[in-house]
Amino acid sequence: MTLNVKYNNKSNKSSIYVPELARINKIQQISPTEKLFDIVFEDDKNQNNFNFEPGQFVELTVFGLGEAPFSICSNPENKDFFQLCIRDIGNVSGALHRMKEGSKIGIRGPYGNGYFPYEKMRNHNIILIAGGLGLAPLMSLVKYILHHREDYKEVMIIYGAVNPENILFKDDIQYFSSRNDISICVTVDNPDAEWTGEVGVCTKLIPRVDFPVEDTCAVVCGPPVMYKFVIIELEKKNYSSEKVFLSLERRMECGVGKCNHCHIGDKLVCVDGPVFSLWQIKNLKEAI
Amino acid sequence: MLYKVMGRDVFKDFVKSLISNYEFIGPKRKDKAVHDFVPIKDISELDINYKRTTIPPAKKILFPPDEKLVAYEVNEKIKVRPVVESSEKVLFGINAWDINGMNFLDRFFVTDFVDENYLERRKKLIVIGMDSEPTETNFSPSMDSEYAKDGFDLYITELKDRYFIRINTARGDEILKKYSVTENALVKDFKDYNNYMDNYRKKFKLDVNIKDFYDNFELIYDDDEFWEKVAKNCYSCGSCNLACPTCFCFNVKDDIELNLKDGNKTREWDSCMLPEYGLVAGGHNFRPDKENRLKQRYRCKLKTFLDKFGRYACVGCGRCIEVCLAKINIADNINSIKKEVSV
Ligand SMILES: Cc1cc2nc3c(=O)[nH]c(=O)nc-3n(C[C@H](O)[C@H](O)[C@H](O)COP(=O)(O)OP(=O)(O)OC[C@H]3O[C@@H](n4cnc5c(N)ncnc54)[C@H](O)[C@@H]3O)c2cc1C
Ligand code: SF4
Ligand code: SF4
Repeated sequence: MTLNVKYNNKSNKSSIYVPELARINKIQQISPTEKLFDIVFEDDKNQNNFNFEPGQFVELTVFGLGEAPFSICSNPENKDFFQLCIRDIGNVSGALHRMKEGSKIGIRGPYGNGYFPYEKMRNHNIILIAGGLGLAPLMSLVKYILHHREDYKEVMIIYGAVNPENILFKDDIQYFSSRNDISICVTVDNPDAEWTGEVGVCTKLIPRVDFPVEDTCAVVCGPPVMYKFVIIELEKKNYSSEKVFLSLERRMECGVGKCNHCHIGDKLVCVDGPVFSLWQIKNLKEAI
Repeated sequence: MLYKVMGRDVFKDFVKSLISNYEFIGPKRKDKAVHDFVPIKDISELDINYKRTTIPPAKKILFPPDEKLVAYEVNEKIKVRPVVESSEKVLFGINAWDINGMNFLDRFFVTDFVDENYLERRKKLIVIGMDSEPTETNFSPSMDSEYAKDGFDLYITELKDRYFIRINTARGDEILKKYSVTENALVKDFKDYNNYMDNYRKKFKLDVNIKDFYDNFELIYDDDEFWEKVAKNCYSCGSCNLACPTCFCFNVKDDIELNLKDGNKTREWDSCMLPEYGLVAGGHNFRPDKENRLKQRYRCKLKTFLDKFGRYACVGCGRCIEVCLAKINIADNINSIKKEVSV
């Protein structure tokens, strides 16, 4: 057979579907529906070899129950463990929410050849626009940028949540607010009596950003409905479509480009994404 | 490629020895209309004069409808191991478009990440091709698939009084040497083979206008009226996917046995025409309408892999046309897109 096989499989395991064993080291409830999980591989070798890029995701197996993709939300420079922020919404995520510290899970990955291009973004102003759980994948980028702060110009986060209680990563947000080299603006749809911040959708805040067109990058992640409106606002600012990056979500059954559920045009969100430039997305019907 | 010829009398013995020496899979009559590729124990079961088959043979063997991928034990310690099962088999009598369909799957399953489950089976599959009668819905020549130039060990073409054999692998050559007697093909054999192919190609009656599809599809893509008309009767049943030699979508599920200790991951064929295909947790569906799903299927078959691999993911076998109760016809639709854009 003239099968021209080029192995890209990262692990030398003989199957791309086999997860490595890992342990949930710490669980924090960070909102009524989200928990933050610290995860460490059982085998030190796997932990040491686990290098990921901001925007990449892992496939997490709850043994006997199922597997789902989750974005890594911790700092890529942290080699001791990695973090996932998971919403209690279904089968696998629900089971994770019922688990205790010390529980064993399976991890495959990291996956996604399309991640946030932090190298290309150097020497640029960065706007990060997140809606709801979309803040999770952006957190790994924010933390990377803060780790290498001198490589970037102005950094601004615009974050929209439904209710004040749904705001994720509150400790991090407080910490960001205390620093003077990063600005963060949080807005909620439904304020409560104590809320003193912005009210309304996050798109509303984009016109206020006054970063110059030439050296600004924007990154976006949020629920599916958000993208269209954010793109309209960003286009009004004339940011280059090659400097706007969006992380997409689709149904995934494998994470390695085989099950095809995340197919958009000639792209697969799992291997070509999950992060795409606006230019790529404009050329992909149905991406938004 | 080496070229040999084999006498008619020798051919039968050759097939018999293959049946007795290998796990042998070939076409067997199922009922009046269809054949099925099944394990053959005796040459009397084999019927190479087939026209229609049930599920495409290669897909069934290389990418079974459900397949265990990973096994694990959940005890004090959790043990996880890959399940990659394969054994040497002869696939006999598969036709050119189904070989081309398999060649597509080959490319697909080793791109980006290598799928060992598929690849191991493929490496151990000895493929012996033979032409079969095209159905009325077959448009393989339009898709460049009525002839296979790769993906097989031996390709046997039946001429009047002998067989013309194309040998594509060393393995094929060895098998031929071991179980048969052949002679080198000469000018006359090539001439007869050419005549045969000219006549064979005339048997395909359906032509599709695929050449301009790549660009025209983008124009027609947003024409809701067109797609509503085309998809109007679709039941979203997914039969077109099941019958297709190049469809590869699957779901993966985790199960635990009743002993609550042994578990596994299994993949099962899925279908892009089913409403749940684009559904994510929380209830959002990325392709809620049948119109969207149908045009996605056409994009996948006729465009996506032209961008990725420089080839179509459709070999024109016509199976999806035959199985569709709603009479949705990919060949007609390709032609009407051309017409729609040209007028
Ligand atoms: C790249 C990427 C990153 C992600 N990052 C995060 C993250 O950081 N945090 C987070 O909380 N979530 C994230 N998600 C979402 C996450 O992967 C899961 O979809 C979510 O947690 C729900 O999974 P579940 O198994 O709990 O839900 P379930 O309700 O069990 O569903 C799982 C998936 O399978 C499908 N499904 C289940 N059952 C059926 C059925 N019977 N028929 C058809 N379809 C079915 C659903 O449509 C859904 O897509 C991410 C998704 C992607 C693609
Ligand atoms: S096109 Fe035909 S076979 Fe395919 S899902 Fe629709 S009704 Fe079923
Ligand atoms: S799309 Fe239809 S005609 Fe094309 S290969 Fe699949 S089943 Fe055959």
